[in-house]
Amino acid sequence: MAQPVLSRRAALGMVGLAGLATAAGCGNSVGGGPSGGSGSSGGGAVKVGLVIPQDGVYTPLGVDLRNGWQLYLDQHEGKLGGYEVETVIADEGEGPDTGVPAIQGLITRDNVDLLVGIVNSASALGSVEAIAAAKKVLVIANAGAIAVTGQARNPYVWRASFTNAQAAFAMGEHLAGQQPEGGVYLMAPDYAAGQETFVAFKEAYVGGGGTIAGEALTPFGTTQDFQPFLSGIPGSGAGATFVFYSGGEAVDYVTQYAEFGLKDTVPLYGSGFLTEGSVLEAQGEAALGIQTALHYSTEIDNAANADFVAAYSDAHGVLPTCFAVQTWDSALVLDLALAEAADLSGDAISDALAGLGEISGSPRGPWVFDGQTPKQIEYLREVQQGDGVLINAVVDELGEYAQ
Amino acid sequence: MPVAGLIALGVLILLAAVPLFVAPFQTSMLARMLIFALLAVSLDLLVGVTGLPSLGHAAYFGVGAYAAGLVAKHWTAAAPVPLLAAVGISALAAVATGWLAVRSHGVFFLMLTLAIGELIAQLAASWSGVTGGDNGLSGIPAVEVAGQPLTLVGYVYWYVLLFAVVGFVVIWAVSRSPFGAALRGIRDNEPRMRSLGYSPFRYKLTGFVLAGAVAGLAGGLFASQQFSLVTPADLGFTTSALALLAVAVGGAGSLWGPAIGAALVVLVRDVYGPDLGGHGTLVLGAAFIMAVYVLRNGIAGLAMSRFRRSGRKEDAV
Amino acid sequence: MTGWLAENFVSILNGFAIGSLLFILAVGLSLVFGMLDVLNLGHGALYLIGAYVGYQFTGGVSSWTGFLTALAVAALFGLLAGLILSVATRPLVGRGHLDQALLTLGVALVVAEVISIMFGDDVQNVPAPPGLDDSVQVLGNAYPAYRLALIGVGAVLAIVVWLVIEKTSLGALIRASVSDREMVSCLGVDDRKVKAGVFAFGSMLAAVAGVLGGPVYGARTGLDETVLLLALVVVVIGGLGSVRGALIGALVIGQVESLGRALLPDFASFLLFGALALVLVVAPRGLFGSKVGAA
Repeated sequence: MAQPVLSRRAALGMVGLAGLATAAGCGNSVGGGPSGGSGSSGGGAVKVGLVIPQDGVYTPLGVDLRNGWQLYLDQHEGKLGGYEVETVIADEGEGPDTGVPAIQGLITRDNVDLLVGIVNSASALGSVEAIAAAKKVLVIANAGAIAVTGQARNPYVWRASFTNAQAAFAMGEHLAGQQPEGGVYLMAPDYAAGQETFVAFKEAYVGGGGTIAGEALTPFGTTQDFQPFLSGIPGSGAGATFVFYSGGEAVDYVTQYAEFGLKDTVPLYGSGFLTEGSVLEAQGEAALGIQTALHYSTEIDNAANADFVAAYSDAHGVLPTCFAVQTWDSALVLDLALAEAADLSGDAISDALAGLGEISGSPRGPWVFDGQTPKQIEYLREVQQGDGVLINAVVDELGEYAQ
Repeated sequence: MPVAGLIALGVLILLAAVPLFVAPFQTSMLARMLIFALLAVSLDLLVGVTGLPSLGHAAYFGVGAYAAGLVAKHWTAAAPVPLLAAVGISALAAVATGWLAVRSHGVFFLMLTLAIGELIAQLAASWSGVTGGDNGLSGIPAVEVAGQPLTLVGYVYWYVLLFAVVGFVVIWAVSRSPFGAALRGIRDNEPRMRSLGYSPFRYKLTGFVLAGAVAGLAGGLFASQQFSLVTPADLGFTTSALALLAVAVGGAGSLWGPAIGAALVVLVRDVYGPDLGGHGTLVLGAAFIMAVYVLRNGIAGLAMSRFRRSGRKEDAV
Repeated sequence: MTGWLAENFVSILNGFAIGSLLFILAVGLSLVFGMLDVLNLGHGALYLIGAYVGYQFTGGVSSWTGFLTALAVAALFGLLAGLILSVATRPLVGRGHLDQALLTLGVALVVAEVISIMFGDDVQNVPAPPGLDDSVQVLGNAYPAYRLALIGVGAVLAIVVWLVIEKTSLGALIRASVSDREMVSCLGVDDRKVKAGVFAFGSMLAAVAGVLGGPVYGARTGLDETVLLLALVVVVIGGLGSVRGALIGALVIGQVESLGRALLPDFASFLLFGALALVLVVAPRGLFGSKVGAA
């Protein structure tokens, strides 16, 4: 058997390939610092990298995030703080293996001035070091892991969304006050967000005198049939169930909760993501009556929200979600900060953000940065029949919660 | 083959000169290509040379990456210690799993390696105390050479290039040796080799472990890049399938073909992928189909002046 | 003992329901593999097509016309897809399983992506037809009526397929091909038509399973991968080319996914792949596999 042979054509091919890659970027990788400086076209313009999922299970969230961002820009002549905005979109995909390279690409290849977005907490956690080294400000518009503004905090990473603990803690306090007979049964998917939810809920609920009837962490991403886990609820004697699920798992859970007859016997409570956005449509009647805690609802009664919901529905034909609000608010705080900042450097923008007081004009109500993440009102919502669509009606305000 | 040697030298010089005239982002992209090429070449030792089609090879890549990352994070980041750990631990993993896997053939081997790969990926995701679980292993310090951490992209690239070449040379040497010839013999006609006195199990297992160790080396290099993040997805089916695609597109058995195939896959996925608006999988699927119909022997096959299928029975796959 | 049984009864029942669905899905894969020696990694994509057909024709509303139309359309799509696949894999005969795996994997990726482009990435619910969309009381526990019906459908289908395979001449031909492919072609039978037919039939069943599985698993991206994996495990356990094996394997995996997850929640993620690896190492031919196959 002949040994492998390199022919002339093959060699030319390899040289061509190397040329292709290098032609895309001439420069020098051994002189100077690890990456280039600000890449904006100078004077009056800012380049923003928007990191959203465009592929895989989180795509619907990515669509909402993009819509929220674009809506704010459209309402403000495409400017933030007086600077003309150029948005570069990067696809974070489904997980940190695609998310982290996408973020690094924005920093090193596209030379953006600042970054906005990120759905997946793992991608956020995996990028904080690179962001700090590059000294660029990141405004997270979703990722809720506590560590991002907790243990792993650095001055450049800000968050305009939520922490996984907030809604869970709020609901925990609420249920501690309600005292359901037989205690509460907990369920969540077995990954960071679910685990953080458990910890926060128990802290508030058990701390408030409640009892846990039982708990189950379901395998994340591989559970379509919750029956094996739901079967534990009737036997535990629980008077209520509290869960955290989002996306496809939320649809499955709520639908199956009703199918297995639990809807009428054990009231279901959740973190707001259980009934937020397109999942509500898929759940249909099975979702009616579910009470959730979240920092936003389309039914919040203030002027900014009324305007926001109207503008969003006009532009896109559907009601907005908390995800859209999160990027809209990211644009809002950047608008305020960039107007105050001395220049577009990460340090200046970070200082400006720190100097912002209470954020008014947000659809979710007044909130303020506390430890670089929102301290905000958690609303108690209930799924009710609205005008031809299901809505999360606001039943109560549960109070202000920090991270 | 002096011509081949000269060409190889030329390519090497070209690759070595890259950081001197290429921007940081592109250089780091090329480093990724080198790492993935090493993985694909190690897989080719299994698929092309030994005839064992594996759908779980990325597991050893990932084990090596985690090993190197953990050593760098908790013990020392001084080169080449993390790399040695990567090679050693992935070789161990390959021995433990290969001992079971190599007994099967054909499609059963395919599915068994898939199962093993996914089990290892699941282990990485569940063992969050050590591996960081689904969040992955972050905070890995940059590799240190002579006490200095390599933070400049160009230096990291040279580090990767050096060891990628070492790995490639090892596989090349094995393939050209009598051992490699025996592997090819087992691929083509295992019963005959057995009748000649060879123990196919022992040869296949050694080949499996070698391939796993070099894949681990690639993983260790992956973890040595600055700000790298090692996640369970790096161990899983998608990475394994991409490596297999690189081998198929490049031409199984040729060793250098899969290296080019790997560069192409990284190019399409990471460089052009984001411009495809999230539909990179469509291109990937089309690439698989093309690789089967059009590139029957991969790019290497196209480059060859004569077909090498004479004398080869139906693939032992 | 009876206490344990009562506690886990719903899980066991659920295991049968899931098992039924898996049988309908996997029997096609098993026959195609055993008889044609083709590893069709696109089998999950066929299920996905069926699931979205179900979603499209029911439109989120519970109706019999919608559901039955969906079944018919999915069956048709499945037949067509099977024929196309059988033609596509013909040139690959003799080139080994790797090429088949790559080809069918490529087709699966393309199909899944096209569906994602057409329907978006939202998770869709497919409601059960009226009359079956409620829950019934089984031993004091509520259980969805649709899943009970699924057990019935699976049983009927199993009997039908068994009758065809065991009692008809076509079935004899299939069994003979699974046992000894070359001999059958020596007998002068135009095996191309039989092969295309089996491929078409198996694919049709997969698409129909997609519609039937709608009220259980819905329609969403990524479902094809989940379902393909389940089908592979069923086929490996049951043995290639065996209808009986597909049935037993499906029932076993149905229980693993239901009862197994209820009893061992900490190991739930490892159960499926662990089962696959175990069977491949200990008994690769499966329970009822034929001697000839993919060795």
